[in-house]
Amino acid sequence: MIIEKEKEKILAIINNLADGLMVFDEKGKLSLINPVAQKIFGIEREILGKSIVEFSSSSTLKNLFYLLGKEIKEVFRKELRIKKNLILEITSILILEKGEKIGNLVIIHDITRERMMERMKVEFISISAHQFRTPLSMIKWSLETLSEEKLGELTEEQRKIIKKAQDSNERMLTLVNNFLDVIGIEDGKYVYKPTFSRIEKITQSVIENYQEEIRKKQIKFEFQISNKKLPKIKVDSKKISLAIKNLLDNAIKYTLPGGRITIVLKSIEKEIEFSIEDTGIGIPKNQQENIFKKFFRGSNAVKVETTGNGLNLFVVKSIIEAHNGKIWFQSKEGEGSTFYFNLPLK
Amino acid sequence: MKKKILIIEDEETLKFLLSREFKGEGFDIEEAINGEEGLKKAKESKPDLILLDLLLPGIDGFEVLSRLKKDSNLESTPVIIISNFSQEEEIKRGLKLGAIDYLVKANLTLSDIVERVKKTLG
Repeated sequence: MIIEKEKEKILAIINNLADGLMVFDEKGKLSLINPVAQKIFGIEREILGKSIVEFSSSSTLKNLFYLLGKEIKEVFRKELRIKKNLILEITSILILEKGEKIGNLVIIHDITRERMMERMKVEFISISAHQFRTPLSMIKWSLETLSEEKLGELTEEQRKIIKKAQDSNERMLTLVNNFLDVIGIEDGKYVYKPTFSRIEKITQSVIENYQEEIRKKQIKFEFQISNKKLPKIKVDSKKISLAIKNLLDNAIKYTLPGGRITIVLKSIEKEIEFSIEDTGIGIPKNQQENIFKKFFRGSNAVKVETTGNGLNLFVVKSIIEAHNGKIWFQSKEGEGSTFYFNLPLK
Repeated sequence: MKKKILIIEDEETLKFLLSREFKGEGFDIEEAINGEEGLKKAKESKPDLILLDLLLPGIDGFEVLSRLKKDSNLESTPVIIISNFSQEEEIKRGLKLGAIDYLVKANLTLSDIVERVKKTLG
Protein backbone atom coordinates (compact mmCIF):
# COMPACT_ATOMS: atom_id res chain seq x y z
CA MET A 1 0.00 0.00 0.00
CA ILE A 2 2.68 2.44 1.05
CA ILE A 3 4.83 1.43 -1.90
CA GLU A 4 1.87 1.95 -4.23
CA LYS A 5 1.31 5.45 -2.77
CA GLU A 6 5.00 6.36 -3.13
CA LYS A 7 4.96 5.17 -6.73
CA GLU A 8 1.94 7.33 -7.49
CA LYS A 9 3.65 10.29 -5.91
CA ILE A 10 6.79 9.83 -7.98
CA LEU A 11 4.76 9.40 -11.15
CA ALA A 12 2.84 12.56 -10.35
CA ILE A 13 6.13 14.43 -9.97
CA ILE A 14 7.46 13.08 -13.27
CA ASN A 15 4.22 13.88 -15.06
CA ASN A 16 4.23 17.41 -13.79
CA LEU A 17 7.85 18.20 -14.55
CA ALA A 18 8.40 21.25 -16.73
CA ASP A 19 11.00 19.31 -18.76
CA GLY A 20 10.39 16.31 -20.95
CA LEU A 21 11.52 13.00 -19.56
CA MET A 22 12.01 9.57 -21.12
CA VAL A 23 13.27 6.40 -19.53
CA PHE A 24 14.69 3.54 -21.60
CA ASP A 25 15.31 0.06 -20.22
CA GLU A 26 18.58 -1.81 -20.61
CA LYS A 27 17.50 -3.09 -24.05
CA GLY A 28 16.83 0.44 -25.31
CA LYS A 29 13.04 0.15 -25.08
CA LEU A 30 11.06 3.14 -23.95
CA SER A 31 9.57 2.37 -20.55
CA LEU A 32 8.37 5.78 -19.46
CA ILE A 33 7.52 9.08 -21.11
CA ASN A 34 5.98 12.12 -19.44
CA PRO A 35 3.36 14.41 -21.02
CA VAL A 36 5.85 17.21 -21.73
CA ALA A 37 8.04 14.88 -23.79
CA GLN A 38 4.97 13.60 -25.63
CA LYS A 39 3.93 17.14 -26.41
CA ILE A 40 7.39 18.22 -27.55
CA PHE A 41 7.69 15.35 -30.00
CA GLY A 42 3.98 15.28 -30.86
CA ILE A 43 3.57 11.60 -30.04
CA GLU A 44 1.07 9.38 -28.22
CA ARG A 45 1.59 7.06 -25.29
CA GLU A 46 1.47 4.12 -27.74
CA ILE A 47 5.15 4.73 -28.27
CA LEU A 48 5.80 3.02 -24.93
CA GLY A 49 7.58 -0.27 -25.31
CA LYS A 50 9.07 0.67 -28.67
CA SER A 51 12.82 0.43 -29.08
CA ILE A 52 14.93 3.51 -29.82
CA VAL A 53 15.91 1.97 -33.17
CA GLU A 54 12.28 2.31 -34.27
CA PHE A 55 12.52 6.07 -33.67
CA SER A 56 14.49 6.44 -36.89
CA SER A 57 11.28 6.19 -38.91
CA SER A 58 9.54 9.01 -37.03
CA SER A 59 10.05 12.50 -38.39
CA THR A 60 10.16 14.12 -34.95
CA LEU A 61 12.09 11.40 -33.12
CA LYS A 62 14.70 10.45 -35.69
CA ASN A 63 17.03 13.30 -34.68
CA LEU A 64 16.90 12.10 -31.10
CA PHE A 65 17.85 8.62 -32.30
CA TYR A 66 20.78 10.00 -34.33
CA LEU A 67 21.98 11.91 -31.28
CA LEU A 68 21.70 9.07 -28.77
CA GLY A 69 22.49 6.12 -31.00
CA LYS A 70 21.42 2.51 -30.79
CA GLU A 71 23.28 1.92 -27.54
CA ILE A 72 21.97 5.18 -26.04
CA LYS A 73 25.03 7.24 -25.28
CA GLU A 74 25.46 9.53 -22.31
CA VAL A 75 25.21 13.12 -23.49
CA PHE A 76 25.28 16.37 -21.58
CA ARG A 77 23.24 19.33 -22.74
CA LYS A 78 23.53 18.70 -26.46
CA GLU A 79 21.54 20.99 -28.66
CA LEU A 80 19.03 19.34 -30.96
CA ARG A 81 17.10 21.20 -33.60
CA ILE A 82 13.85 19.39 -34.38
CA LYS A 83 12.47 22.04 -36.67
CA LYS A 84 12.93 25.74 -37.20
CA ASN A 85 10.98 26.80 -34.13
CA LEU A 86 11.80 23.90 -31.85
CA ILE A 87 15.26 23.66 -30.35
CA LEU A 88 15.92 21.22 -27.54
CA GLU A 89 18.70 20.58 -25.11
CA ILE A 90 19.16 16.88 -24.47
CA THR A 91 20.84 15.23 -21.52
CA SER A 92 21.08 11.47 -21.31
CA ILE A 93 22.22 9.79 -18.11
CA LEU A 94 22.96 6.12 -17.53
CA ILE A 95 20.86 4.58 -14.79
CA LEU A 96 23.09 2.27 -12.82
CA GLU A 97 22.19 -0.27 -10.20
CA LYS A 98 25.10 -1.82 -8.33
CA GLY A 99 27.38 -0.75 -11.18
CA GLU A 100 25.21 -2.39 -13.87
CA LYS A 101 23.43 -0.40 -16.53
CA ILE A 102 19.71 -0.86 -16.18
CA GLY A 103 18.61 1.86 -18.49
CA ASN A 104 18.87 5.51 -19.54
CA LEU A 105 17.19 8.64 -18.39
CA VAL A 106 16.75 11.27 -21.08
CA ILE A 107 15.89 14.83 -20.11
CA ILE A 108 14.51 17.12 -22.78
CA HIS A 109 14.66 20.84 -22.17
CA ASP A 110 13.03 23.25 -24.60
CA ILE A 111 15.48 26.11 -25.31
CA THR A 112 13.71 27.58 -28.32
CA ARG A 113 12.90 30.80 -26.52
CA GLU A 114 16.46 31.30 -25.24
CA ARG A 115 17.89 30.75 -28.71
CA MET A 116 15.40 33.18 -30.23
CA MET A 117 16.29 35.81 -27.63
CA GLU A 118 19.98 35.34 -28.38
CA ARG A 119 19.32 35.71 -32.07
CA MET A 120 17.38 38.92 -31.43
CA LYS A 121 20.17 40.26 -29.28
CA VAL A 122 22.77 39.58 -31.95
CA GLU A 123 20.60 41.29 -34.53
CA PHE A 124 20.02 44.21 -32.20
CA ILE A 125 23.74 44.68 -31.60
CA SER A 126 24.42 44.42 -35.26
CA ILE A 127 21.82 47.00 -36.22
CA SER A 128 22.75 49.44 -33.45
CA ALA A 129 26.41 49.19 -34.39
CA HIS A 130 25.45 50.13 -37.87
CA GLN A 131 23.09 52.93 -36.85
CA PHE A 132 25.66 54.54 -34.58
CA ARG A 133 28.59 54.17 -36.89
CA THR A 134 27.08 55.38 -40.12
CA PRO A 135 26.63 59.03 -39.10
CA LEU A 136 29.97 58.88 -37.29
CA SER A 137 31.73 57.71 -40.43
CA MET A 138 30.11 60.49 -42.42
CA ILE A 139 31.44 63.02 -39.92
CA LYS A 140 34.83 61.33 -39.87
CA TRP A 141 35.29 61.31 -43.62
CA SER A 142 33.87 64.81 -44.07
CA LEU A 143 36.25 66.25 -41.49
CA GLU A 144 39.13 64.33 -43.02
CA THR A 145 38.35 65.77 -46.44
CA LEU A 146 38.16 69.27 -44.99
CA SER A 147 41.26 68.96 -42.82
CA GLU A 148 43.40 67.84 -45.73
CA GLU A 149 42.38 71.02 -47.45
CA LYS A 150 41.00 69.14 -50.42
CA LEU A 151 38.13 71.59 -50.60
CA GLY A 152 40.23 74.70 -50.11
CA GLU A 153 42.73 76.17 -47.73
CA LEU A 154 41.86 76.54 -44.07
CA THR A 155 42.66 79.33 -41.68
CA GLU A 156 44.51 78.45 -38.51
CA GLU A 157 41.30 78.84 -36.52
CA GLN A 158 39.28 76.62 -38.85
CA ARG A 159 41.97 73.98 -38.67
CA LYS A 160 41.86 74.03 -34.87
CA ILE A 161 38.09 73.68 -34.80
CA ILE A 162 38.14 70.79 -37.24
CA LYS A 163 40.82 69.04 -35.21
CA LYS A 164 38.65 69.36 -32.09
CA ALA A 165 35.63 68.00 -33.92
CA GLN A 166 37.72 65.09 -35.19
CA ASP A 167 38.93 64.28 -31.69
CA SER A 168 35.37 64.29 -30.34
CA ASN A 169 34.17 62.12 -33.17
CA GLU A 170 36.96 59.61 -32.56
CA ARG A 171 36.05 59.54 -28.88
CA MET A 172 32.46 58.79 -29.76
CA LEU A 173 33.59 56.01 -32.10
CA THR A 174 35.76 54.47 -29.43
CA LEU A 175 32.85 54.58 -27.05
CA VAL A 176 30.56 52.84 -29.54
CA ASN A 177 33.22 50.20 -30.24
CA ASN A 178 33.78 49.63 -26.54
CA PHE A 179 30.08 49.26 -25.91
CA LEU A 180 29.84 46.70 -28.67
CA ASP A 181 32.71 44.79 -27.10
CA VAL A 182 31.00 44.85 -23.73
CA ILE A 183 27.70 43.62 -25.16
CA GLY A 184 29.61 40.93 -27.03
CA ILE A 185 31.30 39.85 -23.82
CA GLU A 186 28.00 39.60 -22.02
CA ASP A 187 26.58 37.61 -24.88
CA GLY A 188 29.09 34.94 -23.91
CA LYS A 189 30.19 34.25 -27.46
CA TYR A 190 33.26 36.32 -27.18
CA VAL A 191 36.19 34.23 -28.30
CA TYR A 192 35.89 32.97 -31.81
CA LYS A 193 37.82 30.10 -33.28
CA PRO A 194 41.30 30.65 -31.92
CA THR A 195 44.23 30.03 -34.23
CA PHE A 196 47.94 29.53 -33.58
CA SER A 197 49.46 33.00 -33.56
CA ARG A 198 52.66 34.74 -32.64
CA ILE A 199 51.92 37.01 -29.73
CA GLU A 200 55.08 39.07 -30.36
CA LYS A 201 53.74 39.93 -33.81
CA ILE A 202 50.34 40.89 -32.41
CA THR A 203 52.04 43.08 -29.81
CA GLN A 204 54.33 44.68 -32.36
CA SER A 205 51.49 45.66 -34.65
CA VAL A 206 49.57 47.24 -31.75
CA ILE A 207 52.68 49.22 -30.79
CA GLU A 208 53.10 50.46 -34.35
CA ASN A 209 49.74 52.19 -34.19
CA TYR A 210 50.86 54.13 -31.13
CA GLN A 211 54.31 55.26 -32.35
CA GLU A 212 53.05 58.73 -33.07
CA GLU A 213 51.52 59.25 -29.62
CA ILE A 214 54.55 57.77 -27.88
CA ARG A 215 56.76 60.18 -29.77
CA LYS A 216 54.50 63.16 -29.10
CA LYS A 217 54.51 62.51 -25.36
CA GLN A 218 58.27 61.88 -25.44
CA ILE A 219 57.79 58.59 -23.67
CA LYS A 220 60.79 56.30 -23.39
CA PHE A 221 59.33 53.14 -24.79
CA GLU A 222 60.79 49.67 -24.72
CA PHE A 223 59.56 46.30 -25.99
CA GLN A 224 61.48 43.27 -24.75
CA ILE A 225 61.10 39.63 -25.64
CA SER A 226 62.98 37.70 -23.03
CA ASN A 227 63.21 34.36 -24.80
CA LYS A 228 64.90 33.90 -28.12
CA LYS A 229 61.80 32.46 -29.64
CA LEU A 230 58.37 32.39 -28.11
CA PRO A 231 56.16 29.42 -28.84
CA LYS A 232 53.08 29.98 -30.95
CA ILE A 233 49.93 30.29 -28.95
CA LYS A 234 46.34 29.45 -29.75
CA VAL A 235 44.34 32.65 -29.39
CA ASP A 236 41.70 34.77 -31.00
CA SER A 237 44.31 37.20 -32.32
CA LYS A 238 41.87 40.07 -32.85
CA LYS A 239 40.71 39.91 -29.26
CA ILE A 240 44.23 39.60 -27.83
CA SER A 241 45.24 42.51 -29.98
CA LEU A 242 42.36 44.51 -28.49
CA ALA A 243 43.43 43.56 -24.95
CA ILE A 244 47.01 44.72 -25.59
CA LYS A 245 45.76 47.85 -27.28
CA ASN A 246 43.62 48.77 -24.28
CA LEU A 247 46.51 48.21 -21.87
CA LEU A 248 48.92 50.26 -23.97
CA ASP A 249 46.29 52.94 -24.45
CA ASN A 250 45.87 53.25 -20.68
CA ALA A 251 49.61 53.27 -20.06
CA ILE A 252 50.12 56.11 -22.53
CA LYS A 253 47.09 58.04 -21.33
CA TYR A 254 48.12 57.97 -17.69
CA THR A 255 51.87 58.43 -18.10
CA LEU A 256 53.04 62.01 -18.01
CA PRO A 257 55.24 63.34 -20.83
CA GLY A 258 58.81 62.15 -20.53
CA GLY A 259 57.81 59.01 -18.63
CA ARG A 260 58.67 55.41 -19.39
CA ILE A 261 56.67 52.40 -20.63
CA THR A 262 58.11 48.90 -20.92
CA ILE A 263 56.40 45.89 -22.42
CA VAL A 264 57.90 42.48 -21.69
CA LEU A 265 56.92 39.14 -23.19
CA LYS A 266 58.28 35.94 -21.78
CA SER A 267 57.52 32.29 -21.87
CA ILE A 268 57.40 30.58 -18.50
CA GLU A 269 56.84 26.84 -18.48
CA LYS A 270 53.43 26.26 -20.01
CA GLU A 271 52.39 29.85 -20.42
CA ILE A 272 53.27 33.16 -21.98
CA GLU A 273 53.40 36.17 -19.72
CA PHE A 274 52.84 39.70 -20.91
CA SER A 275 53.60 42.73 -18.78
CA ILE A 276 53.36 46.45 -19.32
CA GLU A 277 55.01 48.76 -16.85
CA ASP A 278 54.49 52.49 -16.78
CA THR A 279 55.65 55.44 -14.71
CA GLY A 280 52.15 56.88 -14.72
CA ILE A 281 49.82 58.19 -12.05
CA GLY A 282 49.15 54.76 -10.53
CA ILE A 283 46.01 53.51 -8.86
CA PRO A 284 45.13 54.68 -5.32
CA LYS A 285 45.31 51.76 -2.92
CA ASN A 286 41.71 52.01 -1.75
CA GLN A 287 40.43 51.78 -5.32
CA GLN A 288 42.53 48.91 -6.56
CA GLU A 289 39.90 46.26 -5.99
CA ASN A 290 37.48 48.06 -8.32
CA ILE A 291 39.84 48.54 -11.20
CA PHE A 292 38.45 45.79 -13.44
CA LYS A 293 34.83 46.72 -12.84
CA LYS A 294 32.74 48.00 -15.69
CA PHE A 295 32.65 51.83 -15.90
CA PHE A 296 34.97 52.24 -12.91
CA ARG A 297 37.61 54.96 -13.16
CA GLY A 298 40.23 55.88 -10.59
CA SER A 299 39.71 59.25 -8.92
CA ASN A 300 43.13 60.44 -10.08
CA ALA A 301 42.53 59.06 -13.57
CA VAL A 302 39.42 61.19 -13.95
CA LYS A 303 41.51 64.29 -13.27
CA VAL A 304 44.18 63.48 -15.85
CA GLU A 305 41.84 62.28 -18.58
CA THR A 306 38.26 63.41 -18.25
CA THR A 307 36.97 61.48 -21.23
CA GLY A 308 37.70 57.81 -20.51
CA ASN A 309 34.73 55.48 -20.28
CA GLY A 310 35.92 52.96 -17.72
CA LEU A 311 35.56 50.00 -20.03
CA ASN A 312 39.15 49.35 -21.14
CA LEU A 313 40.23 47.12 -18.29
CA PHE A 314 36.89 45.35 -18.04
CA VAL A 315 37.27 44.38 -21.69
CA VAL A 316 40.89 43.27 -21.17
CA LYS A 317 40.00 41.09 -18.20
CA SER A 318 37.11 39.47 -20.06
CA ILE A 319 39.31 38.69 -23.05
CA ILE A 320 42.11 37.20 -20.97
CA GLU A 321 39.74 35.11 -18.89
CA ALA A 322 37.94 33.88 -21.99
CA HIS A 323 41.34 32.49 -23.01
CA ASN A 324 41.74 30.81 -19.61
CA GLY A 325 44.43 33.29 -18.69
CA LYS A 326 44.93 35.39 -15.59
CA ILE A 327 45.33 39.13 -15.20
CA TRP A 328 46.80 41.05 -12.27
CA PHE A 329 48.68 44.24 -11.48
CA GLN A 330 50.93 46.07 -9.10
CA SER A 331 50.51 49.75 -8.64
CA LYS A 332 51.54 52.64 -6.45
CA GLU A 333 49.84 55.97 -6.65
CA GLY A 334 52.14 58.59 -8.12
CA GLU A 335 54.77 56.06 -9.17
CA GLY A 336 53.21 53.86 -11.78
CA SER A 337 51.50 50.58 -12.54
CA THR A 338 52.45 47.25 -14.03
CA PHE A 339 49.74 45.09 -15.56
CA TYR A 340 50.41 41.43 -16.19
CA PHE A 341 48.52 38.71 -17.94
CA ASN A 342 49.37 35.18 -18.79
CA LEU A 343 47.96 32.82 -21.38
CA PRO A 344 48.22 29.05 -21.19
CA LEU A 345 50.05 27.44 -24.12
CA LYS A 346 47.46 24.75 -24.49
CA MET B 1 45.91 53.16 -67.73
CA LYS B 2 43.77 54.47 -64.93
CA LYS B 3 42.35 51.77 -62.67
CA LYS B 4 38.60 51.71 -62.39
CA ILE B 5 36.75 51.30 -59.11
CA LEU B 6 33.05 50.62 -58.77
CA ILE B 7 31.57 51.95 -55.54
CA ILE B 8 28.27 50.35 -54.51
CA GLU B 9 27.06 52.44 -51.59
CA ASP B 10 23.61 53.83 -50.85
CA GLU B 11 24.61 56.59 -48.43
CA GLU B 12 25.08 59.63 -50.68
CA THR B 13 27.55 61.43 -48.41
CA LEU B 14 29.77 58.40 -47.99
CA LYS B 15 29.68 57.65 -51.69
CA PHE B 16 30.49 61.24 -52.56
CA LEU B 17 33.44 61.41 -50.17
CA LEU B 18 34.86 58.04 -51.25
CA SER B 19 34.45 58.90 -54.87
CA ARG B 20 36.16 62.26 -54.40
CA GLU B 21 39.08 60.73 -52.55
CA PHE B 22 39.64 58.05 -55.17
CA LYS B 23 39.37 60.50 -58.06
CA GLY B 24 41.95 62.67 -56.33
CA GLU B 25 44.23 59.65 -56.19
CA GLY B 26 43.95 59.15 -59.94
CA PHE B 27 41.30 56.43 -60.17
CA ASP B 28 38.35 56.22 -62.52
CA ILE B 29 35.10 55.91 -60.58
CA GLU B 30 31.77 54.27 -61.29
CA GLU B 31 29.01 54.62 -58.72
CA ALA B 32 25.89 52.67 -57.88
CA ILE B 33 23.33 53.37 -55.18
CA ASN B 34 21.82 49.91 -54.88
CA GLY B 35 22.56 46.27 -55.57
CA GLU B 36 20.77 45.98 -58.91
CA GLU B 37 22.49 49.05 -60.28
CA GLY B 38 25.78 47.76 -58.91
CA LEU B 39 25.47 44.46 -60.73
CA LYS B 40 24.49 46.20 -63.95
CA LYS B 41 27.43 48.61 -63.78
CA ALA B 42 29.81 45.80 -62.88
CA LYS B 43 28.82 44.00 -66.07
CA GLU B 44 28.96 47.09 -68.25
CA SER B 45 32.07 48.80 -67.01
CA LYS B 46 34.28 45.85 -65.96
CA PRO B 47 35.91 47.59 -62.97
CA ASP B 48 39.33 46.56 -61.63
CA LEU B 49 37.92 46.46 -58.11
CA ILE B 50 34.56 46.79 -56.39
CA LEU B 51 33.89 48.49 -53.07
CA LEU B 52 30.68 47.00 -51.77
CA ASP B 53 28.43 48.16 -48.94
CA LEU B 54 26.29 45.50 -47.26
CA LEU B 55 23.11 47.26 -46.19
CA LEU B 56 21.58 48.28 -49.48
CA PRO B 57 18.00 48.86 -50.57
CA GLY B 58 16.65 45.90 -52.55
CA ILE B 59 19.12 43.07 -52.80
CA ASP B 60 21.73 43.33 -50.08
CA GLY B 61 25.50 43.31 -50.39
CA PHE B 62 25.84 39.60 -49.59
CA GLU B 63 23.50 38.77 -52.45
CA VAL B 64 25.33 41.13 -54.79
CA LEU B 65 28.59 39.48 -53.83
CA SER B 66 27.36 35.96 -54.44
CA ARG B 67 25.91 36.96 -57.83
CA LEU B 68 29.20 38.60 -58.80
CA LYS B 69 31.07 35.44 -57.87
CA LYS B 70 28.71 33.35 -60.00
CA ASP B 71 29.31 35.48 -63.07
CA SER B 72 32.23 34.04 -65.03
CA ASN B 73 33.18 37.49 -66.35
CA LEU B 74 33.28 39.03 -62.89
CA GLU B 75 34.23 36.27 -60.49
CA SER B 76 37.90 37.27 -60.53
CA THR B 77 37.22 40.97 -59.88
CA PRO B 78 38.37 41.69 -56.32
CA VAL B 79 35.58 42.84 -54.01
CA ILE B 80 36.25 44.71 -50.78
CA ILE B 81 33.32 44.97 -48.41
CA ILE B 82 32.91 48.35 -46.74
CA SER B 83 30.35 48.18 -43.98
CA ASN B 84 29.57 49.43 -40.54
CA PHE B 85 28.46 45.96 -39.48
CA SER B 86 31.27 44.33 -37.63
CA GLN B 87 30.09 41.12 -36.06
CA GLU B 88 32.16 38.05 -36.59
CA GLU B 89 29.24 36.32 -38.34
CA GLU B 90 29.00 39.07 -40.94
CA ILE B 91 32.74 39.25 -41.54
CA LYS B 92 33.00 35.49 -41.94
CA ARG B 93 30.02 35.36 -44.25
CA GLY B 94 31.46 38.10 -46.46
CA LEU B 95 34.87 36.47 -46.70
CA LYS B 96 33.35 33.06 -47.31
CA LEU B 97 31.36 34.45 -50.20
CA GLY B 98 34.61 35.58 -51.75
CA ALA B 99 35.32 39.15 -50.64
CA ILE B 100 39.06 39.66 -50.30
CA ASP B 101 38.78 42.13 -47.45
CA TYR B 102 36.21 43.43 -45.00
CA LEU B 103 36.58 47.03 -43.87
CA VAL B 104 34.61 48.72 -41.11
CA LYS B 105 34.00 52.22 -42.44
CA ALA B 106 33.85 54.05 -39.14
CA ASN B 107 37.18 52.65 -38.03
CA LEU B 108 39.09 53.72 -41.13
CA THR B 109 39.98 57.00 -42.76
CA LEU B 110 39.52 57.61 -46.46
CA SER B 111 43.27 57.38 -46.94
CA ASP B 112 43.31 54.01 -45.14
CA ILE B 113 40.77 52.72 -47.64
CA VAL B 114 42.69 54.09 -50.63
CA GLU B 115 45.78 52.41 -49.29
CA ARG B 116 44.03 49.03 -48.96
CA VAL B 117 42.71 49.32 -52.49
CA LYS B 118 46.14 50.21 -53.87
CA LYS B 119 47.66 47.28 -52.04
CA THR B 120 45.06 44.94 -53.44
CA LEU B 121 45.58 46.15 -56.98
CA GLY B 122 49.34 45.77 -56.54
